[in-house]
Amino acid sequence: MPMKLLKTETENQLVVERILHARRYSLTLDRTLCTGCGICKEICPREAIEVKTVPKVEGDKARPPTIDVSEEKCHYCGICESICPFGALKVTVDGEHVIPVIKSESFPQLIREIEVDITKCDVDCVDCEEACPLNLITVTVQTPDGKEVKDVKSRPDKEKLKVNVEIKKDLCPCCRLCEVKCPEGAIRVRKIFHGIIRIDREKCPEDCQDCLDVCPIPGALYLSEEDGKVHVNELFCVYCGVCKVVCPVEEALELQRTHIRHTPVRSGAWNKALEKLTSTEEMAKELRTKGSAKKLESVKKRVAWSE
Amino acid sequence: MSKELRIGVFICHCGLNIAGVIDMGELVEYARTLPDVVYVKDNRYTCADPGQDEIRKGIKEYNLNRIIVAACSPRMHEPTFRRCVSEAGLNPYIFEMANIREFSSWCHPSTPKEATEKAKEIIKMAVAKARLLQSLDILEVPVTNKAMVLGGGIAGINTALDLAGMGFKVYLIERGESIGGHMAQLDKTFPTLDCSICIEGPKMVDVSRHPNIEIISYADLLSVEGYVGNFKVKVRKNSRYVIAENCTGCGECRDVCPIEYPNEWDENMGVRKAISVPFDQAVPLVYTVNMDHCIECYKCIDACGARQAINFDQKPEEIELEVGTIVVSTGFDIYRPYDNSLYGYGRYDNVITALEFERLILAAGPTGGKVIRASDGQKPHTVAFIQCVGSRDVNKYPYCTGFCCMYALKNAILLKEKYKDDVEVYIIYMDMRAHFKGYEEFYQRARELGINFIRGRAMHILEDPKTKNLTIRTEDMTLGEPIEVGAELVVLSTAAIPSKGTDEMARILSLTRGADGFFMESHPKLKPLDTPVDGIYLAGCCQGAKDIPYSVSQGSGAAARAATVLSQKKWKIEPIIAVVDPDKCKNTRVKCGICEKRCPYGAIKAPEGEPARVTIAMCHGCGTCVADCPSDAITQLHFTDAQILSQIRSALEENPEEKILAFLCNWCSYAGADLAGTSRFEYPPTIRAIRVMCSGRVDKDFVLEAFRLGAGMVLVAACHLPYDCHYISGNVWMKKRTDALTMVLGKLGLSPERFRVEYISAAEGVKFAGLVEEMTEQMKTLGKEKIQAENEKLQPTLERMLSRKKK
Ligand SMILES: Cc1cc2nc3c(=O)[nH]c(=O)nc-3n(C[C@H](O)[C@H](O)[C@H](O)COP(=O)(O)OP(=O)(O)OC[C@H]3O[C@@H](n4cnc5c(N)ncnc54)[C@H](O)[C@@H]3O)c2cc1C
Ligand code: SF4
Ligand code: SF4
Repeated sequence: MPMKLLKTETENQLVVERILHARRYSLTLDRTLCTGCGICKEICPREAIEVKTVPKVEGDKARPPTIDVSEEKCHYCGICESICPFGALKVTVDGEHVIPVIKSESFPQLIREIEVDITKCDVDCVDCEEACPLNLITVTVQTPDGKEVKDVKSRPDKEKLKVNVEIKKDLCPCCRLCEVKCPEGAIRVRKIFHGIIRIDREKCPEDCQDCLDVCPIPGALYLSEEDGKVHVNELFCVYCGVCKVVCPVEEALELQRTHIRHTPVRSGAWNKALEKLTSTEEMAKELRTKGSAKKLESVKKRVAWSE
Repeated sequence: MSKELRIGVFICHCGLNIAGVIDMGELVEYARTLPDVVYVKDNRYTCADPGQDEIRKGIKEYNLNRIIVAACSPRMHEPTFRRCVSEAGLNPYIFEMANIREFSSWCHPSTPKEATEKAKEIIKMAVAKARLLQSLDILEVPVTNKAMVLGGGIAGINTALDLAGMGFKVYLIERGESIGGHMAQLDKTFPTLDCSICIEGPKMVDVSRHPNIEIISYADLLSVEGYVGNFKVKVRKNSRYVIAENCTGCGECRDVCPIEYPNEWDENMGVRKAISVPFDQAVPLVYTVNMDHCIECYKCIDACGARQAINFDQKPEEIELEVGTIVVSTGFDIYRPYDNSLYGYGRYDNVITALEFERLILAAGPTGGKVIRASDGQKPHTVAFIQCVGSRDVNKYPYCTGFCCMYALKNAILLKEKYKDDVEVYIIYMDMRAHFKGYEEFYQRARELGINFIRGRAMHILEDPKTKNLTIRTEDMTLGEPIEVGAELVVLSTAAIPSKGTDEMARILSLTRGADGFFMESHPKLKPLDTPVDGIYLAGCCQGAKDIPYSVSQGSGAAARAATVLSQKKWKIEPIIAVVDPDKCKNTRVKCGICEKRCPYGAIKAPEGEPARVTIAMCHGCGTCVADCPSDAITQLHFTDAQILSQIRSALEENPEEKILAFLCNWCSYAGADLAGTSRFEYPPTIRAIRVMCSGRVDKDFVLEAFRLGAGMVLVAACHLPYDCHYISGNVWMKKRTDALTMVLGKLGLSPERFRVEYISAAEGVKFAGLVEEMTEQMKTLGKEKIQAENEKLQPTLERMLSRKKK
């Protein structure tokens, strides 16, 4: 059979496929998870991804952009899947979930450091579950012999019950909302992306809150009652950058990632991606720690940059 | 040579062939009266030794400096007599023949008086031309004894091996990563069923080891300049990002590379890595990074380690080669019938091409030799082969691809032998073409194996959307009714088409292509491996689809043709070429370049602001540019305007309105007229013929001059359109020119039948004789008075039109 390149779109997902007589590839974008930030687009080596902004309807809230993937260009390397902080993309080969670039260590995995000390948990507390804006946390309570307990309040043996906090880590952008909301300080979260985000409110148009409308993390941006403009709370920002995508004014919103937490790799592709997502300096820093002196030299030459 | 003209005329009796009709005494007497003729001698057989001795003697004794032999056709003995005069110390080009046998005694036996008169005029015309003949030097060019072979399929491989075996250095230029061509993609080969790569692989290795062969693969031909013996070739070696010398072919880089992309070599049915070889037996065994897919993770560099073969900074490299000959063996491509909606290729998962089938049944193929369906991965229980998909289809490719019948038989047999009774096989065909050694036997073998043959053209394929099984609607010519055949897999035997880039190669190499798009040979029978460009030859499927044995034979044949040049130190070129008078060429002042457009060989170039220039070794001497030059700046040596005009004037000196003045092209029409003579077809002695190498040489001024002088009729006869012209397109340009001229003459009041353009092949003696008969009849019907009256009316205009030609 000649090669087939397909794209199927439903309301909640986009699937591109490359079907060969002897092998099938697919990439699925789960639109219920995708925030439209376009980090994937930044680093897709085939420029297969397009971020399409959704035109705003007068009087409505701004809507997040949609992601489109070209079935002609995608070569199913899985770079987008590895970088997506929301876990919205998935590659399969012959029906099995594999990320080729991770298998070959051509790309790192994001480090999602989330620790829960359940010994500190109060059995009838579900604050973290309620705090998670993406509904990734499920708190359950069990008897010592492992039976799930439904109505904790009416149980007399509260002391003996065990709390279990389950987090869908793969889909977690590590916003720290749960950490902050936990009354017992039982959760510790470290961010994946670090950076700086600033809004030059002088430049913001009157009544514009587009960035706030599309931000997936409540509280990362908020409307100040004082000046009626959008302000930033860096504590919760995950630096996905969807705000910057929709911002109608150039330079009103500045977003700069400074660091990405990831497993160690030696890979040119990652260096390039890192440079695109953060900065040349950050990439050079990484090269230095890996001792790639030769490559570092060439980077310096290329950007005429000295330490 | 002395200034004074001393012409000798040798008149041949040809036994009684000439003397039996023509009054030889009268002819000799007449010849003596012609200007500058100082010696006339008749012989029984001029071509025999005693006859030739007479010529040599005459030259010595009478100090002759122009020689005419009045005898048979120049197509017969011109070379003989040219040799004879040069043995006597004269330049061979001061010789002219008067064809009084084929053009007179043989075609007018029952009117000896008229035949004699005509013979006199033929000699007179020859003398007129001879008075203006010039000595010409045979040109010689040096020969670089190296060859380039373009395309490393089985045809090119054989050419390269043969030439290298003869001791010549060969550059084998291959566009792909590996040599091997289509043969390396096949499973088994008919009719013996040897494994294809097992027999081709060793040859590929021989090529790579041969000290005289340099493989330049993954390379594109950029330009070719020069001419036979002296081609300058530019080639770009594309970057593989792997240093060939360092790569050991171990494949460790491939193992670590994360990226897979569809392998074209596997007809995109399987995959390869971003750093890989297309197939394991690739020659040269050098890995290549496909930058369209590579993500530059550099894992391969780590894997390659100390060998340091991978270099992402590698740049494409342009190299220049000098070669004496070029063999083109760029093969074919397969037609992928996406545009045929009736068969559903590309839409139905279980409809594939035969080439895909080869990859499917091949043990080293993407499925490991398992014939499975794309829809469900299951082995099909019924397989149908449909023949002539695209081929023999007037709406697609009218030609027969030739090898599909045989490979369908092969694949049917392979299936039957592999799965025995577990598979039912159908072949739906129009005609079974199995016509070489061992092929008919192969067909019988297929029949004995119980393969079902259905004669008819498949009309339509339908797919069951659930099972993805197929139903073929076809006619069964044996039953004489439409039938339906169910199949779980359908294999389309699709046409072979010119390989991608054939048009560009044609442009770079100045080659012509036939209506089918494949390269055209110089002559379909006698020069099947030559091209119009001297020193460039063809081998294999680039000239038309053919199977492996035939491609291999052509490879060896082309090597032999190339060796005829390469084995010489110098290459001789006939001096009948075009020369430009730079002072007359107007291209220096205004943009003209008409000549450049006319030349089918790219031999004349008119760069802006400079006078046109002819590359002598590329000029074939058709004279088309000469005829169309608006400034009369080009001359064709040995067929100059002055020489031809002198023939016209001499032919029309007496009773012009009773004559047909004809311009016959050497290769077709002159030969056709000769054949009328040899066949003894009798026709009226009204015609006076002037030989030109090509009808493209016939300047419109020649026609005008003939009418100015009062000619009754004028005929221009050429090879048949569109492909018969010996110079590719001379007849096409002649037609354009004479079409316009016909219009002008018509407007001036010339009766349309008086100017005629005809196409007569070398086999059409009857047509020629009939034509002369018909034109003579027309001339009679018009009547001398009417012709004279027309001519008188025309005269002033023609005088004006020709004023610049007048001397
Ligand atoms: C499905 C199928 C099955 C067949 N089975 C058989 C069989 O069993 N037995 C048999 O006798 N025949 C068979 N044939 C026919 C056989 O494939 C051909 O006869 C043979 O391959 C012709 O060889 P070639 O060298 O002329 O052309 P090709 O094999 O096409 O080789 C041409 C080469 O030139 C290169 N090239 C093309 N253009 C350029 C360029 N511009 N510059 C540089 N290089 C270039 C190509 O990359 C290629 O390597 C089969 C054909 C098909 C399609
Ligand atoms: S899988 Fe690779 S090529 Fe495809 S969209 Fe993702 S990053 Fe781009
Ligand atoms: S650098 Fe390119 S070729 Fe090498 S391993 Fe990575 S993807 Fe493959």
